[in-house]
Amino acid sequence: MRIAVVRPQVPFARGGAEIFSDALVDELRMRGHEADSVTVPFKWYPGARVLTQAFLWRLLDLTEADGKPIDMVVATKFPSYLVRHPEKRVWLVHQFRQAYELDRTALGQFGESPEDRAVRRRVQELDRVGLGEASRLFATSQNVAGRLERSTGLVAEVLPHPAQELDYRNEGHGDFILSVNRLDRAKRIDLLIEAAAVESSLEVVVVGEGPDRDRLEALARGLGVAGRVRFTGRVGAEEVARLYATCFASFYAPVDEDFGLGPYESFLSGKPVITATDAGGPLEIVRDGSTGRVVPPEAAAVADAAVWLREHPDEATAYGSAGHAIAAEVTWDRAIGRLLS
Amino acid sequence: MKVALFSPMQPERSGIADYSELLLPALRSRCEIVVVKRGSKKPPRGTDLCVYHIGNNPDAHGWIVEALRRTPGVVVLHDFVLHHLVAGLTIGRRDGHGYLDAMEREGGVVGRLLGHAVLDKRIPPIWENRPEDFHLAGEVLGLATGLIVHSHYVRDRSRAAGYAGPIWVVPHPAFPVPTLSAAVVTGDPLFGSFGNVNASKRVPQLLEAFARLRQCHETSGLLLVGATSPGFDLDRRLQRLGLDSAGLVREGYVDERRLWELMIAADVHVSLRSPTMGETSGTAIRALSLGKPLIVSDVGWFSELPGDVALKVPVDEHEVDTLAAALELLATRPDVRTAMGAAARDLARHDHGLDRVADLYASAFEQAAGGGVVRDAVLLEVSEAAAAVGIAPGSAEAREIASRLSEVDPGA
Repeated sequence: MRIAVVRPQVPFARGGAEIFSDALVDELRMRGHEADSVTVPFKWYPGARVLTQAFLWRLLDLTEADGKPIDMVVATKFPSYLVRHPEKRVWLVHQFRQAYELDRTALGQFGESPEDRAVRRRVQELDRVGLGEASRLFATSQNVAGRLERSTGLVAEVLPHPAQELDYRNEGHGDFILSVNRLDRAKRIDLLIEAAAVESSLEVVVVGEGPDRDRLEALARGLGVAGRVRFTGRVGAEEVARLYATCFASFYAPVDEDFGLGPYESFLSGKPVITATDAGGPLEIVRDGSTGRVVPPEAAAVADAAVWLREHPDEATAYGSAGHAIAAEVTWDRAIGRLLS
Repeated sequence: MKVALFSPMQPERSGIADYSELLLPALRSRCEIVVVKRGSKKPPRGTDLCVYHIGNNPDAHGWIVEALRRTPGVVVLHDFVLHHLVAGLTIGRRDGHGYLDAMEREGGVVGRLLGHAVLDKRIPPIWENRPEDFHLAGEVLGLATGLIVHSHYVRDRSRAAGYAGPIWVVPHPAFPVPTLSAAVVTGDPLFGSFGNVNASKRVPQLLEAFARLRQCHETSGLLLVGATSPGFDLDRRLQRLGLDSAGLVREGYVDERRLWELMIAADVHVSLRSPTMGETSGTAIRALSLGKPLIVSDVGWFSELPGDVALKVPVDEHEVDTLAAALELLATRPDVRTAMGAAARDLARHDHGLDRVADLYASAFEQAAGGGVVRDAVLLEVSEAAAAVGIAPGSAEAREIASRLSEVDPGA
């Protein structure tokens, strides 16, 4: 089949959604499909710009390319699913969350002016149009599917996607806890840094880049834990795999995360995960006392859980193994089979 | 965002006052609402949006229409047919010319002539006999910058009347069910009809159908609750049908508490109507909240009730036969009653849930207050981009852009 995988591209930004979308193209090609990635730059501010940017997708004609038909489009994110195609499938990573559950929070975008409120409502209407006309609708997690149903009434099939290809392995119970995540406020890496301040024996490695890095580094310095909290910035695939292989656990506790690849990567390395009770998607696979620790979003609770896992290597190994069994079930073969069926 | 709300409010005795009181707290948790004092014609300073609740009662809504004339805004149209309201605001205020103008606006010269005939008492008042033929909603529709309606029926009639602005369909909210015991009323099963007792509630047809049911099901009962409308001779009808001595329980106007107790007592609620003014029935909504199976007329909003909560009786020459069959079915099949009741309760909880309704209201308010500016901003940016690459107005490319825009914004 000839398949266009469509997604918006915020220039100079690359995160989980982009990795997922590129991996999907690669995996489709490996299975004999002619697949390509179609992106359009996306800027969602100021004012009504989010709507005109969304409208660009509506003008695209992806029914054919270079004189040959495109059999299917697969869209992943707002506003790419506004594209028109008779065989449009949506594998939803997330909606434009500022228009939904993040509205009127510190992470929101829209103010209280009538214009801002109306733009937010238009975004919601666009979702009903773009997602409602999909021939099949998938969501990467129950959390994303639940939000979609609550906000639009549309029902999506839950279809998790595999973690990125890495040389996953377990080299034993190490002496540090690992965070692999984009450094922005919603990822709540503060909790881990503050946990290091609560528990003076805790060693932390923070992998990733993002707009919150300066603030997080300042926080570590301010708490006097800079020597035990190491920021690596962005690192290569081999280094990420090595860090997973040698940590004793990973930390992954964003606020109401959509899906969260971090726990899958950790599990594939046989390492348990510490997450928070309000983390959203990760809670679908991180279970307290089974595959990791689920604690209140408080530094002291995170510190307690980390120390407990470090001091109980047998339990940590068992949790990691249980997680591995879950993550190993999520394969590209299965996912693509359902996506194209 | 500040919304000025023009509505009758309690203690006024009006269904719309009850409605607004029920919704107000939920709306206030979503946006700033200022309830405009009865009689005031101007919104408070700094108002972003005026919202007018319009129903058919001239005493309750006359001042609201006058305020709407000064400051157009969003109209919550509780009835589509506003003939009674307009008659009250014109003839009721000795403004015969106003009535003639309204009739002419809608019915042309014929309408005006009919209006003259009404004023001269040559024909009975149209609002009593043929209101559906002359809805007289034209002025209100003309002033409304947006409409909130409770049914697709009213939305479609508004469109058919030429209304081109945005319309939001927002269901009537379910009433919270008070914790009360059922009134003690004889009848197994007990059918209940709640509201004014008159011909438009199809009481003659209901009595006839129930009399047939009683021939086979002597234990069944019919509870009629509500004031008898002037000119409706209930007693003679009961006597003729042999229902005056047994089977029928009659209560006149009752207070809210007694109404709920009686509603709880009824096994099946009968909510018939014809002609319809496009209204949503508050008593039928209460029945849904209580999880009671319904028998309704197959008209207007009632037709939109799902088939698993209501048996629908067409208003035609077989009306009594169909109604008798519906009564018979629900009298003999308690399992059907139970299933319909459960579906009714689900419908009330989901579609008519207060939070959902308040969300839909807030969405409509936000779109109405800022939607025009936002739409203009989008159109400006798109048209500038189109012009910059040489796409001329009226060209095939411009039409393509307009078509795509209308797909994602029907108002564009």
